[in-house]
Parts: sequence; structure tokens; C-alpha cells
Amino acid sequence: MSEFQDVTWKELLQNFEKSIALAIEKLQSRDIENIPGAKDALVQRLENIKLYFPKNNGDLFLKSIDDKIQNGFFPNTKNFPKAFSKILKSRTHEQDFVINELLNGFVASKAKAIALGTQGPVIDRMVEAFSKRNDFHIVDYQFFAMFGDPNKPKHYIQKQLEELINMFGLVSKQLIIEKDVRKSEQKIYTFYTFPDEIIKILEEKYLIIDEKLGYTYVSETFDRNVFICMFLANIAINRDNIEKIGGSYTINGISSIFALILLLSFMPKLSVDETNPILNDPSFDQNNMSVIPKSWMMNQVLQSLFEPLIKIVAYRLGGGLWLTKIIDSEVNKKIMNQIRFLLKDVNKWILGNLCRVEIPIFVEIANIFTEILVGYEED
Amino acid sequence: MSYKKKSIRTIRPGRKREKWTDIFPRYLTFISHMRPILRETRRIIADLDADLLLDTEILDKIREEEEKRNIRKVRALSEFSAMYRSNVYEIIKDFIIKYRETIPIIDIKDYIIEFLYESIDALNLLRHITNPDESDLEKTYLFILVKFLEEKLFPRGTNLNIIYEKLLKSASEFYECQRHILQPHTYYREKIDNPDLFEIPGMSPKIYQIINNITSLFNLDPNFGEYPEKDKIELPMILKNEIFMPYIDAIANAEIESIENIAERIGLRPVNEIFLAPSHDFVDILLKSNFLREIKQQDGTIRLSPQFSNETLILYYLAFASQRRGFLSKELINWISMNFAFLIYMGLLKWKLSDENIFYAIFKDLQTNEKILPYLMKLICFPNYLGLDKMKIRDSVQYRKEIFNFIGSTIDNLKELISEIAIYCEKFDKERKNK
Repeated sequence: MSEFQDVTWKELLQNFEKSIALAIEKLQSRDIENIPGAKDALVQRLENIKLYFPKNNGDLFLKSIDDKIQNGFFPNTKNFPKAFSKILKSRTHEQDFVINELLNGFVASKAKAIALGTQGPVIDRMVEAFSKRNDFHIVDYQFFAMFGDPNKPKHYIQKQLEELINMFGLVSKQLIIEKDVRKSEQKIYTFYTFPDEIIKILEEKYLIIDEKLGYTYVSETFDRNVFICMFLANIAINRDNIEKIGGSYTINGISSIFALILLLSFMPKLSVDETNPILNDPSFDQNNMSVIPKSWMMNQVLQSLFEPLIKIVAYRLGGGLWLTKIIDSEVNKKIMNQIRFLLKDVNKWILGNLCRVEIPIFVEIANIFTEILVGYEED
Repeated sequence: MSYKKKSIRTIRPGRKREKWTDIFPRYLTFISHMRPILRETRRIIADLDADLLLDTEILDKIREEEEKRNIRKVRALSEFSAMYRSNVYEIIKDFIIKYRETIPIIDIKDYIIEFLYESIDALNLLRHITNPDESDLEKTYLFILVKFLEEKLFPRGTNLNIIYEKLLKSASEFYECQRHILQPHTYYREKIDNPDLFEIPGMSPKIYQIINNITSLFNLDPNFGEYPEKDKIELPMILKNEIFMPYIDAIANAEIESIENIAERIGLRPVNEIFLAPSHDFVDILLKSNFLREIKQQDGTIRLSPQFSNETLILYYLAFASQRRGFLSKELINWISMNFAFLIYMGLLKWKLSDENIFYAIFKDLQTNEKILPYLMKLICFPNYLGLDKMKIRDSVQYRKEIFNFIGSTIDNLKELISEIAIYCEKFDKERKNK
């Protein structure tokens, strides 16, 4: 088994090397940069990546993906509360913004596919539903009122609700009323909430518990990212059960997003001339932004880098099982193109320059690379 | 021959053009019912011996007595008053139970009275937000706040250039708010391919993606072609097909078919049927704002090289909508006026209520919002204010719920703007008193 894994891993590294060579070749043939030296800096960076990443059995990848990405967003554990707690703890304000942009579209489109016909921002409304009550539960009837269509039978929305609940890993409790006041019939209410262990973690910051009154309110910090953390933790612990996590679509989506985080971390910062108008632009913040070469977003460069990188990420996250689920077709190229859309929100275009917002995960991965680079040079 | 009197009404009931004097009293209805409840409660609490507050059953009895005094004949009003009163008493009870062991009861009483004073003051302000006859409107809060927000988010101007410049000026602080008011949450009700070509719809998430993609394509890999109106100048242009490359199957078909309409809203025009390039007027704006750079070629021609920012095209969309505010879609009008109403309402509350005020929750409650904001939305649409078509404001309760749902997920930038409004109110109030 391990021999097989080694062979696969080696193959993936070799493919990555080839793709880098191809990207450099494509890069040499065109120049779309407006900052002097930007193209050279990118070529140099890609050369370094080609040289150092496959070394030591892909040690840099192991550190970047296993230690940093998995630890912060996709913990390798079967324990749901532990996974959730790790993801929740890696939150920072800036990182939230970027992760939100990256994952929100993915989660929202998945949630939208489930809550068909509702169209509204499902996660926001889930947050709203929990915020409205003082017992940190939502009731199925509340959900039907929010998302249901009075012209359609209720069982559709019931099924959709169950899928949403599974997607976020919520738990349900039933309340049976033998005779209701209106019709004297039996009525069953289903309450949904977070699992007890998760509630304990949330109590630290996201919940306000009033023991005297027996109320549980959500604090102002309780937001959509709590659901995104739940979503990630739920997929992380069930990574071996492909059906449970939503099939190959989820695997391709998650692997692409993490591949994108890796790519964003690899890019060199450029120093701009002090007369460059970007330095006077009010939306450019020198403390947490850096200008990066824009040629790496060229279709030709990105496409050749993206595909092997997605496979590497998939293999590290879910082994051979995930690797076999990566779609190798024209459709995948379209998906990659869609991921490129996310770049404009994660990065900003400021006066024609592509600027990266320096969030902890990018800085951490970039630091690993720099450390190893310096280490090799000293050797 | 029939002697039955024929109706002379030619328009459907409920759709008649409402005057200021029709809407303003409706806006006041619920506010004027909320204020006496708070005043009565304040009087009762002030008269009550502090020690009696320790027994919450006494509060229940007082409430029951107060409810008996309800003589309102209109069912909706009496229901609202009962709900409002019970919320107020519940909040007071919870506050007492929570703090009675840590704070002396006399201080708790003082806090409650103080919070009630603040809330009555806020309601008083909301009551006098404008004048019944619109006289001296420049001195009213509604007018100055609409103008304050309008200048930042939806400015007026004699031409697009002026409007764009105003938007760009406040973009560094409030770009996210500017973008937000262009994106109605009910975008799925919009028709992209509207038979009325003049109508301007809001920006759906997909259109937003497409605009982002256009920005990137201009920055990354533009083609250059002849400037139709000027000699020896090259204009940047991108292929229409390239914009839609990422879309699988037919998910962007509607957008592909209406790309020329979309392009017009972001200042672009078709060239040779296959390209999109900045329109003649937009080129001047882009040059002025440094989003286009002139590069002299060896053959003497000048190439206009694009250096767009994220906001370049979005702000044009907003400026375009602002200039043609008479042609906005129903969804966009509802969305913009609701955001203005929400910002003004929350800004005034932020100014008048302290953050720890226990009654803040009632003001922010959806049930209170939907009683006040719809009328405020209509007032804001009058010609002296935003000048939008108030006939397009929907009155359906279901619809209000749908659009007010966004209130639970306000973006941080909106919160910052609410704080700015509170500061501005304070400043305006001081200036008025000094005069």
C-alpha cells in the first residue's frame, strides 16, 4: 500500500514539476506586466518552486498542506468538536474576509442547490433564525415559514431542511404535543440545534448564557463563519465517506479552493516605485497588502499550474480515494475558471495592479517557503 | 335604464398616488402608539417603591391592569400595543432578575428609568423627523440625513462625470455600502431581458461576477483597436466571448443574450460586434480618474492602457442608475429606499440610545421595523428627497418580510456608516442649537 502511495505521490510531484516548466515557458512568451521586474520576479519564483518543492519527497507540500492548511481549515481527525474547535480558533478578522469570499460562494451554491426555489442567502437566514430565539434552537415550522413556498407541498422543503441540517452537522430533537389547541390533533415539532460539545465550544465567545432565566442568546460575534466552520469540520471528519459529504463535486470544490490558497501564498511580493500612483490610492493599505505580478493570473499560466496542484491537495487531504474523484475534463477547466472569479474578491485590483491581502495563512505558507529557501542556500 | 351609480374610479384601489399628507400620518401611527406606552411605564416605575420591583409578579399585575385600559378600536393597533407593552415589561423583568443580586435595586430602578427616558427621546425624535407640511424642510432630520447619505451613496449631478467623481470620493470609506445598495436581495425577481429597455435592474450576484471578470480581462489581456470618434488613439477592448468562458452549460444564457444592455450600464459599448470597449463619455471619466493611462506608441498613436480598480465599473453602474433614477426597476427602488430608511432609522437610534440600552432590541425587532420603515421608505422617495418612483414601493407584507430579512446580516461597512450618521446628527443638533 505504502509503495503504491509513494509511486502516486512521486507521479504527482513529477507532474507538478512539468507543469511549472510549462508555465514558465508560457510566461516567457508574453509580457503583460506594467511594473518593471515583475515578470522576472515571477519567473524566478517559479524556478525556485520547481527546484525546491519536489525535494525531500515534497517536504514543502507536506508542511504547507498537512501542517498549515489542514490544521487551520481541514483538521485530520474523526472527532467533530476537535475539528470544529481548530477551525474556529484559526479565525482572524482579515482571514475571515478571505475565507468567506472563497468558501461562501461554494457553500452558498451548495446550500442553494439544496434549498431550491428559496434563492435567498440561506446561511444568513440560518444565522437570523438562531438570533431571533432565546434558546439557541430553530424549529422546523420557523424554517418552513422562511423558505417554504405556500404553493408547493411541504415534504419538498422538509427534505431540503434535512439535507441542510446534514450539511452543517446540526442535531435534532422532537417535541410531541398530543393535542394541539386548534385541531386537537397530535403535532410534532422538530427542534434543531448544534451538538452539545459544539455548544460548549461556542459558549466561550459566541453564546451568552443566562443561567438565571434559562436563556441562551447568540452574541454579536455569532455569524455565517460559524456555519462555514461547521461545514468544513463536517466534511473533514467524513472525508472517507464520499456520499455523505456530497460526492465528487465537494471534493473538487474543496481541493480547488485549497489549491488556490497555496497558489496565492507562493506569489512574490513586488516592490513598487515610490512614484507609483497606487501608493497614494486610499484603498491600498501598505501594512496588509502587497502588489503581486499579474501574469500569474493569465489563463495559460494558471491552468497549467492549477490542475496538478488540485490533485496534490486532493491526495494529501483524502488520499487515493479523493484523487480518483478529481474530474479530468473540460468541465474541470470551467470549474477552474470559476475559481478564478473568486480571485477578484480575495485580491483587489487597484489601478491595474493585482494586490494580495496578507492574511495569516498566506503569510505562514510563504514563510515556510522562505525558510526552506534560505536553508538550502546556506547549505 | 339603470339608476345604479357608476363608479368613477379608474385606478385599482390601493394603487392611487399617495400624497405626503397621506403617508406621513401613517408613518406616525405606530410611533405615536409606542411613545405613550413607554411614558406610562416610566411613570409607573418612577412611582413604584424600588423594593417592590424585586417581586416580578407585581410587574405582571401592573401590566394586566394596563392592558385592561386599552380602548383602541383598530385591531391591528390594539394588537401591536399589547405586543409592544408585553415586550417592554418582559425586558424590564428580565433585567431585574438578571441583576437583582449584583446591583442594588434602587440603581436598577434608576437604570430602567434612564433607558426609558432615552427610548422616549428617540421616539420623540422619530416623530419629529420631518414636518407634516414639508415646511422648512432643510432644517428637518429626514432631509439632512437623506442628503448626507445621498451624497455618499447615490449622488445627484448634472452629468455622469460629476456623479462618478462624487462616488469615487467616498468610495475609499464606503465602497462596500455603495456596492451593497446596487445588489437587491430580491434579484431573482428581476427580468434581465426586460422589454422596457430603459429600465435599470439591480446587480445580481452573477452580473457582479461578470463585471469582475470584465475588470480582470481589461487589466490582464486587453486588445487595442481604433477609437471610433478620435484619430490616432487606440482604445482597449475585450472579446465578448471571453467573458463567458467559465460558465458551464446554459447557466449564463440570459446574461449572454443581454450583454449589450449590461455593458451599457457599466459604461461599455460593442465594437465590431465581437468586442466591448469603454464608451466615448466614459473614456474621459476614466482618464480623469487615472483608470486609463496614455502611452505614446512609436508610430505616434496614443494607446489608452487600462488600469482598472475593483470599483471602476461598479461605480459607473451606480452613477448610471443615479442619473437615470426615474427608470429604476421595482426591486432596485425598494432596495435603495429600504437601505436609506434603515440607515436613517438606525443612525438616529445610535445617536439617541446608549449601546447598553435594554430596549434597543425592541427597536431593532422585525415587528417594529415593518411598522415604521415601509412608510419611511415612501417618504424618502418624494421629489425633495431621493426622487424615486414611490408607486413602485410594494405594500405586500410577505415582500416586506423578504427584503427586511437582510437586516440580520448587515455588513460591517453599513455599521460604520450608521455610526457616521449618529456623529453627523450630533453635529447638526449642536449647530442648530448654537444658531
